[in-house]
This record gives sequence, C-alpha cells and structure tokens, in this order.
Amino acid sequence: MTALPSRSNIQTELKPARKPAAAMIEIDHVSQTFKTSGRQNHLALSDISLTIEDGAFVSILGPSGCGKSTLLYIVGGFVNPTQGLAKVRGKAITGPGPDRGPVFQEFALFPWKSVLGNVMYGPRQQGVRPAEAEAQSRALIEMVGLKGFEDFYPKELSGGMKQRVALARTLAYHPAVLLMDEPFGALDAHTRTRLQNDLLNIWERDRKTVLFVTHSVEEAVFLSDKVVMLTRSPGRIRQIVDIDLPRPRRRTELLLDPRYQKYLVDIERMFDDADENELRP
Amino acid sequence: MMTRALLARATPVLACLGLLAVWQAASLVLNNDSFPTAIEAIRAIPSILGDKEALINILASLRRMAIGFGVAVAMSIPLGLMMGRSRTVASFFNPLLMVIYPVPKAALMPIIMLWLGVGDIAKMLVIFLGVSLPVIYHSFAGAKAVEEKMLWSGAAMGLSSAQRMTRIVLPAALPEILTGCRTGLVLALITMITSEMIARQSGAGNILFNALDMGQYDTVFAMIIIVGAMGIGLDALFERMRARLVKWSEPQFDIPVSFS
Repeated sequence: MTALPSRSNIQTELKPARKPAAAMIEIDHVSQTFKTSGRQNHLALSDISLTIEDGAFVSILGPSGCGKSTLLYIVGGFVNPTQGLAKVRGKAITGPGPDRGPVFQEFALFPWKSVLGNVMYGPRQQGVRPAEAEAQSRALIEMVGLKGFEDFYPKELSGGMKQRVALARTLAYHPAVLLMDEPFGALDAHTRTRLQNDLLNIWERDRKTVLFVTHSVEEAVFLSDKVVMLTRSPGRIRQIVDIDLPRPRRRTELLLDPRYQKYLVDIERMFDDADENELRP
Repeated sequence: MMTRALLARATPVLACLGLLAVWQAASLVLNNDSFPTAIEAIRAIPSILGDKEALINILASLRRMAIGFGVAVAMSIPLGLMMGRSRTVASFFNPLLMVIYPVPKAALMPIIMLWLGVGDIAKMLVIFLGVSLPVIYHSFAGAKAVEEKMLWSGAAMGLSSAQRMTRIVLPAALPEILTGCRTGLVLALITMITSEMIARQSGAGNILFNALDMGQYDTVFAMIIIVGAMGIGLDALFERMRARLVKWSEPQFDIPVSFS
C-alpha cells in the first residue's frame, strides 16, 4: 500500500497509477561536471540511471567524493544536472519543491527561530493557519522526542537534538520524498545509533520514500530496502543490493542475524576489490 | 556577591571619574589658557544646555544625523545583501566602494558644498556617505556567510528568491548588519561634527568652533563633553536594541543542552 500525503495539488497532477508500486523518482542518464579552479572539468557523476519506487528506503553508499551528495542535490532540484534528467512522479525536476524535503548533515536550521518556529516555518509558508500549524508542529516535536524544548533556540541544542529538529521541520510540510544527506554524519557514535533507531521508528509509521546518502555500510544496510553502491570519482553505479531483512528492524536482533552480517561483509568486499583494482598500476 | 555586582556596575562611572581627575591634574600642571580644568568645563555645560539657541543648534544637528543615518541604513542594507548573494552585483559595486572607502568623507565636503550649498542637504549627504560604507560592508559579509543549505531548506519549503532574501538572508545576516550599523552610528556623529566644522551655519559643531574662534575654551571643552555624552548615550541605546534583536545569536547561550 502506498499512502500518499494529503497534498491535493500534487495528487491532482498525478497521472493514473500504472502499477501499485509506482516510480517516485526516476533518474535518467544523469551526469554532472563541475568547473574546477584549473582548466579541467571535474566529472562528478557519470551516466546514473536509477528508479526509486514509492515508499522505498534507498541508500546511496560510496566513498567520499564519489558525488553521492550531488545526486541527492539533483533530485532536490538544488543542482541542475549537466546531462540527463531526473523526474519525481513522472514530472521533470526543474527546481526545489515541497514534495522533496531535504535534511542536511549541517542541520541548516534557522538560528533566529525557536524549535517551534523552525518546525512551523514550512506549514506557515504553505498557508496552514497559525493555530493548526502550531498544533501539528508540537505533535511532530513530541514525535522526534523534543517535547519541552519548543521554545529553545538552535544554539542551545546539541547536534543530535538539532538534527531531530531538522527532521521535524522537514516532515512538517509533508514532502512525498525525504532527501537525507549524511544526516547523522556529524554526530558521535552513540547519538548516531539512537537517531537511526528513531528514524526507522518514525519511518515505519507512514513509509515515505527516502533517499539516504551515507558512507557507512552498517547504516545503509540497517536502514534500507535497497543500497545503491557508487564507484569512486567519477561516481557510477557499481551495484544495487536489495536488503531483504524483515521489518520492523531491531538493531540488537540484526547484529546477531547472519543475513545482516553477510550483507555487511559482501558490501565491504565489493569496495575492497574495487579499491585494489584502482590502486593497481 | 552583592558588593561585586555593585562594583561591576560602578566601574564605568569610576572610569569616567578617573579620566576627569587626570584631566583636572594635567590642566593644573600645564596651566595653559587654552586647556581649562575639568571643573571649569563641566561648569560651562549648564549654560550651554540652558541656552535656547544652543539647544536648537544641537537638535538641528541630531536631526541631520538621524536623517543621514536612517537613509544610509535603509539603502545600504539591501545593497550589501544583494552584493553578498550575487557575484555580478558584488563585482560591479566592489571596485566603486574600494575607491570611496579610504577617502575621508569630510574631504568631499567642499565639493558637495559647491554643488548643494551649505545647507542641510550637503551635511546630510556627508553623513550618509560616512555611514553607508561600514553598513554595506557588514551587510555584504553577513549575506555572503549565509549557509547555502539554509537557503536550500527555504527553497524546498516554497520560498521564492525574493522571499529567501527578506526572510532568510536578512535575519541570518542581522547580527553582522547591526555590527555595521553600530560603527555607522559613531561615524554619523563624527561626520556630523566635521561637516558643521566646514560648513558653519548651525549645529553642535558650529557652537564648538565658534567658541574656539572666540577663545572661550571652557565652552569648547564643555561641547566636547556634550558631544561625547551624546555618542555614548546613542551607542548604549543602540546596543540595547541590538542585543534584544539578536539574542538568539548571543554567546551566553553557548553551552547547549545535552542529550542526543
């Protein structure tokens, strides 16, 4: 079942569903080059084609500098691809929009707004009445575990708390897709684990489509239905691994599960092989 | 604790008293006609402030300063913000500003007087020029430092580029902008006095330099105290407003609440 958020303007634009698991995001032969300070152009992404189904949790995994974040920015509409096309629900992406909500490693909260002000920002921008926006936002803040911190400024919060606010702020405007750009990359190991658990719990409720960028193999396997492995620069799709593990997932159970362990080992091996090939003269 | 808090509050007063004491001693030692003692200067203050003519002059100065400062801030903030967010705008205005920046604005006064006369407009223009540059530069720096991802977050919520400018870049750069305005306020006071020194007609600077011409040194020093007090007062007032507007960025909140 695909539960679409109740954003009527998007619903009406939707073409009649062809299949039960409709494509949410289609990336079609996308390449990205950047101008560098030298005269050469740097090829960050090379010919990426990928389809992400509605309701899927998909991770993009790769070494740093492989362009995985760039791919996410292209889907977000923040960066225009040099070649190729990305689509969301069959419509070409030409810029950012509230159907795709980003969560960045840097949090990017509005420091002049309180926690509540940050979370209410999106709904207010969408024209939701203040009282209603506030009620929804308070519920979201409670859901991400920050009840009691509504009036705090971002400056007064720890990194993990800031990322919880950022997640609530994005969920508040009901994006159809969550775009998470190494969201837990700046956090310590303990905080990271807690946020991964909480993210999965929140995600289990409505199963939004998630595109999750990470360089952590464990994080990708633990969270995802599908792991897209990219090669080192330029980023190409090396392999797509379907993670066939039961949900809801419990970390303590998974750690003992041989299937989980095998995924980790297989993926690590694939990266090792690739590294050896690249290092060979 | 109580005495320490009391002491902390009294320190600025003690500093002022110390300065006056040094002045008093220096003046007594040097014993120069053109260097009245602090007590003589302070005695001359009530007669200046009691004089209706002098009060009108000082108020006229403040009025010019307020208008010059206000117009400069209103124009410089948008320009600085646009420079900070657009490379084209920045590369157009930067060279212009680099030429104007080191020129003492009062040095332009004779030319401006030639064009606009010695009236209010010329003086307000000089104040405007003096205030503009620090406000432009600080707004520029503030807007440039705004995190790209913050703007992306806003764009994803559906903010147009104009809305991102007024509702993200402006508040995010506000601490920096207000630092520029504070510098601008002090410069407004300085250019106000210098403009009146060059184009003497009315104003606080006019009283000061007329007294100097007539050898009324106690009045000269009394005016210096009055102008200085105005500067301190305005700065303190501005600082209170600034602190209230950007309390979200003040460092006293630096220790974050901790749990993951």
